[in-house]
Amino acid sequence: MSIVQGIGYLVIGFLAAAIIGMFAHWFDRKITARVQWRVGPPFFQPVYDLVKLLAKEVIVPEGASRFLFLSAPLFGLAAVSVVSALLIRTVIFPQQTFLGDLIVVIYLLTIPSQAVILGAFASANPLASLGGSREMKLILSYELPFVLAILVPVIKAGETIKLGVILQHQATEGAVIASISGVIAFVISLICMQAKLAKVPFDVPEAETEIMGGAYIEYSGAALGLFKLTQWMMMFVVPFFLMMLFIGAVNWRQSWLNIVWAALIYIGILLFITLVRNTNPRLRIDQIMKFFWAKITPIAIVAVILAFLGL
Amino acid sequence: MDLVGYLIVVPLVAGAIVRIIPDAFKGLKEGIALIVSAVTFYISILLFRQGWLESEYFGRVIFKVDTLSSFVILWVGFFGLIMVLYSLGYMRGKLYLKQYYAYMLFTLGGAFGAVLANDLVVLLSFWGFLGLTLFMLIETGGPQASGAAKKTMVIVGGTDALLVLAVTLVWVLTGSTSLSQPSIPTITGLSVFAFILFACAAFAKAGAMPFHSWIPDTAEHAPTSVVAFLPASVDKLLGIYLLARVSLYLFNLSGGMMLLLLIVGAFTIIAAVMMALVQHDLKRLLSYHAVSQVGYMVLGVGTLNPIGVAGGLFHMVNHAIYKGCLFLCGGSVEKREGTTNLDELGGLARYMPLTFFSCVIAALAISGVPPLNGFVSKWMVYQGVIELGKRGGHAWVIWLVAAMFGSALTLASFMKVLHTVFLGVRSKKGESPKEVGPTMAIPMLVLAILCLGFGIFAYSIPLRGFILPAVQRVLGMPEVSAWLGWWSPGLATLFIVVGIVIGLIIYLAGRLKATRTDSMYVGGEIIPAEVRVTGTDFYNTVSDMGFFRQIYRAAQKHAFDTYDIGQKFSFYFVRGFRAIHTGILPHYLSWMLAGIMVLIIILLR
Repeated sequence: MSIVQGIGYLVIGFLAAAIIGMFAHWFDRKITARVQWRVGPPFFQPVYDLVKLLAKEVIVPEGASRFLFLSAPLFGLAAVSVVSALLIRTVIFPQQTFLGDLIVVIYLLTIPSQAVILGAFASANPLASLGGSREMKLILSYELPFVLAILVPVIKAGETIKLGVILQHQATEGAVIASISGVIAFVISLICMQAKLAKVPFDVPEAETEIMGGAYIEYSGAALGLFKLTQWMMMFVVPFFLMMLFIGAVNWRQSWLNIVWAALIYIGILLFITLVRNTNPRLRIDQIMKFFWAKITPIAIVAVILAFLGL
Repeated sequence: MDLVGYLIVVPLVAGAIVRIIPDAFKGLKEGIALIVSAVTFYISILLFRQGWLESEYFGRVIFKVDTLSSFVILWVGFFGLIMVLYSLGYMRGKLYLKQYYAYMLFTLGGAFGAVLANDLVVLLSFWGFLGLTLFMLIETGGPQASGAAKKTMVIVGGTDALLVLAVTLVWVLTGSTSLSQPSIPTITGLSVFAFILFACAAFAKAGAMPFHSWIPDTAEHAPTSVVAFLPASVDKLLGIYLLARVSLYLFNLSGGMMLLLLIVGAFTIIAAVMMALVQHDLKRLLSYHAVSQVGYMVLGVGTLNPIGVAGGLFHMVNHAIYKGCLFLCGGSVEKREGTTNLDELGGLARYMPLTFFSCVIAALAISGVPPLNGFVSKWMVYQGVIELGKRGGHAWVIWLVAAMFGSALTLASFMKVLHTVFLGVRSKKGESPKEVGPTMAIPMLVLAILCLGFGIFAYSIPLRGFILPAVQRVLGMPEVSAWLGWWSPGLATLFIVVGIVIGLIIYLAGRLKATRTDSMYVGGEIIPAEVRVTGTDFYNTVSDMGFFRQIYRAAQKHAFDTYDIGQKFSFYFVRGFRAIHTGILPHYLSWMLAGIMVLIIILLR
C-alpha cells in the first residue's frame, strides 16, 4: 500500500470514528436526559463542546512533566484512529487482511487508556495519580475476560486470528452470536466494553463525586478536548469491533439493507451502555477486580470450553 | 589462528593483562577494556557478515559459525561494548575496580567461546568458566553482594553439573559430542532425561522458573552495569541460545518435551510478573521482569514452528535491548539519587530528561506497545502459539491467554515505575540532580533508539537480517508474505504518525500558545508537604485479594525459591554430619584417633 493510500485510510478512519463517536456521545446524553426526565442537549452539542474547549487556554500544573502532559492526548487519539482505519478497511476488503490483526487491534485499544494514565501521572496531581492507578487496575481487571471472550469467535472461525477470516466465516456460516458460547462471550465482552469505556459502574478512574475527574483533573482546553474526542471515538470503535467479531458487522456485499441493520444493532449497543450507566451505582476498584477475576473470568472460561465443544 | 580464534583469545588475554596492571593506572585499564571490547565487536560484525565458518583445531571442528550463532555473537559483542562504555561513568569512584574490567573481558571471551563451540565439551568448559566470572563480577558489588554471589554460584554451578551429565548422556547415546551430528529424537527415557538436563542449564542461565531466584538477589546487590550486562542481556542470549541449539539442532523434540517448554514458559511469564507488581526496589522489580520475559522466549522456542521460534529469538534480542536499557536507567537514577528504593524516588523527569526518555521508550517496548520492538516479537510468539492449534489439542488457549495477560501485567508494573521514579512529586525538595554524563547517557539512548528502530523497521532490519535466516535452516522459511499481508510495522508507524499529526492539527486549531502554568487543583484541600502519592502501593489491591494474599505471603518467606527449598532439603540429609561438626577440638582429635586406629587395624590385618 502506498503512503498516500495509507494516509487516506487513516483520515477516513479518523473522520468516521469522530463523526459517529460524536453522534454516540450526543445519543448517550440525550437518552440519559430522557431517563432523568430532562430535555437533553441539541444534536450538535458535542461539536459545540469541542469547539469551545479548543478556544480555551491550556493550563499546565506546576511541577508537571510538561512535554508528556501535553503529548499524552495525541497518542490516544492516534491509536484509536489507527484502529478505526484498520476495522473499516477490513470490512471493505475482508479477504485482504494480515495474520494477527486481531492482536494488533487488542493492543492498540489499550493505548488510549495508557495515554490517560501517563497524562495523569505527568500532571503530578495526587488525585490524578489515584485516577491513573485505578485506570491501570481497571485494564488489569477486564483484560483477562476480554481476551477470553474474544477467543470464542477465534475458535469458531477455525482457530484463526485474522479479522477478515472471522468476518467471512460469519458471512457464510452464520454469526458467532447464534450459539451458546457466542451469546455468553458477547455478553461478557459487552461488560468488558463498559469497563474499557470507563462508564458507570466502572468509572472509578474519573469518579467525579470522589476524586473530581481523577485522571482528567488537571486537563483543560485543547488537551482536554483531545481526550474527550478520543473517548467519543472509542464509543464507535469498541462496539464496532465487537460487532465484527460476534455478529459479522456489515455484510454489505449481500444487500445494502444490511448497513441499516448494522446501524440498528450499533444503536442497540449504545442504548445498552447508556441504560447500564444510568441505572447502576459506581463500584470500588477492589470490587471491580474481584468481579472480573472471580466471577466473569470463570464464565468466560466456560464459554471458551463450550466453543471448543462446538456449542 | 582465524577470526574465531582472535575473537575468543583477544578478550581473554586482554582480561589477564588488565588483571595484572596495578590499580594506580586506572585510566589504562579502562582504555584497554574499551578498545578491546570495540575490537571484539568489530570482529563479531566481520564474522556475522561472513555468516559461515568452520574453525578446526587439532583436526576437529571445534568452533563453528552458523546462522544461529553468528547473530548471537554479534549481540554479545554489541552489549560488551555498550556496557563497558557505560561502566566508565558508572563505576567511577567505586571499589573493586581491579577485578571489574578484567572479569568483564573474561566474560566476553567466555561468552564468545560458549556460543561458537561446535563440541559439547568445549561448550561445557566455557559455560563453567562463565559461571565463575559471573560469581566474581557479582562479588564486585562489595560485601553485601556476597550472599547473592553464593546463591548464584550454587544455582548456576549446580545446573552446570547437570550439563556435564547431559553431555555424558549425549555421548552415551550417540558416541559423539559434536553439535553438528544428526538430531536425537526424544523418545527413549535416556534422551528425554538428557534434554531435560540441558533445558535446566539453559533455564538457570536465562533465569526461567524454577531456577530464577538468583536474578532478583543479584540485581539488588551487584553493580547495575553488571546486572545489565549479564542477567539482563548476555546471559539471556546464552541461555536461550543453548535452549534453541539443543531443541532445534541436537534433539528432535517430541510433543511431551514441547509441552514441558510451553508450561515452563507460560508459568514463568505470569508468576514472575505478579511478583514484580509488588516490589519496592527498582532493580529488584526490573529483575523480576527479566525473569518474566524469559517466559516469552521459552514459549516461542517451545512452539517449534518457524514463526514462533523466530518470535522467541527476536524477543531474546529485543529483551536484551530494552532490559539492558532499563537497567542502565536504573543505574543512572542510582548514581544521582543514591538509592533505588521506590519509596524515596519521584519527580526525576524534569531533572534527567534523557534518562526519562530512554526509560519511557524501553518501558513501553517491554509492555508490548505498538509500534515498538517488544510488540513485534510478542505478536510473532502469539502467532506461533495459535499455530499450535493446527497440530490438534486446545491447550494453546492457555499459553496465549497467559502470554497476553502477562503483557497487561507488565504494562501495569511499568506504569508504576514511571510514576514513582520519574513523575509524581519529588521526595527530596530543594536538591536538583543533574543528568548523567555522556558515557552513561549514550548507551541508554542508543538502546532506546534501537527499541524504536527494531519496531518500525522490524522486517527490513532484524527479521530479514538475522532472525529469519537463523530459523530458516532448521525449520524452513516462514511464509513472510502470508503473515504480513498488506500490514507492516512500517505502515503501522506511518498510521500512528499521521494520527499524531491529526491530533497536532487539532491542538494548533486551539490556543496551544496560550498555555499557562498554575498551581494544581486538589479541590481546595491543603496537602501537607510530607504527603505524596508514591505509587509503590498502587497494586496492593491485587496483593490484598484473598487468594493472592496467601501466595504473596508464602513467596515472601521464600516458599517457592528452589535455592531455599534445596537448602532445606540438603540440610535435612546432612544433619547427621552437621551434628559431628561441633567445633570442639578434642572431639575432632578423638575422631581422627579413631580413624587412625581403624586404618591400622585394616592395614595390619
